[in-house]
Amino acid sequence: MAAAVGDVEVVDFEPDEDDLMDEEVGAADADPSPAPAAKLRSTIAGGGSSGLVPRKTKGRGFREEAGPGRGSHLSARGFDSLDSDGGPGPQRSIEGWMLLVSGVHEEAQEDDLHNAFREFGQVKNLHLNLDRRTGFVKGYALIEYENFEEAQTAIATLNGTELLTQRIFVDWAFSKGPVKRRNVRRRSPGAHRSRSPPRRRY
Amino acid sequence: MAATGGSGGGDQDEFYLRYYVGHKGKFGHEFLEFEFRPDGKLRYANNSNYKNDTMIRKEVFVSPAVLRECRRIIADSEIMKEDDNNWPPPDRVGRQELEIVMNNEHISFTTSKIGSLVDVQGSQDPEGLRVFYYLVQDLKCFVFSLISLHFKIKPIQS
Repeated sequence: MAAAVGDVEVVDFEPDEDDLMDEEVGAADADPSPAPAAKLRSTIAGGGSSGLVPRKTKGRGFREEAGPGRGSHLSARGFDSLDSDGGPGPQRSIEGWMLLVSGVHEEAQEDDLHNAFREFGQVKNLHLNLDRRTGFVKGYALIEYENFEEAQTAIATLNGTELLTQRIFVDWAFSKGPVKRRNVRRRSPGAHRSRSPPRRRY
Repeated sequence: MAATGGSGGGDQDEFYLRYYVGHKGKFGHEFLEFEFRPDGKLRYANNSNYKNDTMIRKEVFVSPAVLRECRRIIADSEIMKEDDNNWPPPDRVGRQELEIVMNNEHISFTTSKIGSLVDVQGSQDPEGLRVFYYLVQDLKCFVFSLISLHFKIKPIQS
């Protein structure tokens, strides 16, 4: 078992396929420039290398050379996250289960949401954010329940119903793992992964 | 599927968002940055050496519903129609970067820090810069809520 690791699957430092930024950092490391954590521009597409159709690009960010301060700093490791098994399904937050309500009427008040959602359990937290330009409700709310069942029942009951004449959608806000991706770039077939068994997410 | 009823377009194409604001000064490199990756990973970093010298770094996977709402906010802003050509370039005071991939378009805008609407009005592209100015605030607001509720921390409103 261990013997096979050495030759076939060379070295794969990347823990997962989604580390786009880290890939570019690797490339940047080859740059003799002493500047740390050089620049990740076009983090996602690298100028359209991944797309089936060339993307239209726009903005100074594509033209600038790496300047001082230019760069994503998210490439570093050591991000905190709550424990998760990485599987599908909703992810618990530190104190409970968070829902996203979308399609919220711009004149909705916190009370309107409270009244609708308290039926399923105590609402521990409610954020009803405003549009910074208009001052009206932006269109979404975040609502937290302590128990999974309360949250699940709220979704089952209220998703697709009307609130203040507008149809609202209620769903989990956080997920234990990556969303399924269709229609996106994959690694070349030759790029064998090490250690982890071939996970199928499709 | 425009499940939210917004004009966010389909969610089958790749979506990516990154925002950065920061500067280098006497307290070192202070910045705020967040990104939504195509697979739903939301990453948030905030480094302010002034109050505490440790960087806050958080990440969590958000649901497709959250990604859709994010797209809806971006689509409604019509930022993709703008161009940063006539925006004030980044300077010593600081820089902002907004990178978005959506609907097969990819923008990577940079500009200086914007103190208030007065700076927007006085610029060479007040209409475009205003779109940027408000969108950034709405996105920060969204991300701050997500991060602070999930981790029960108070993001620094830099």
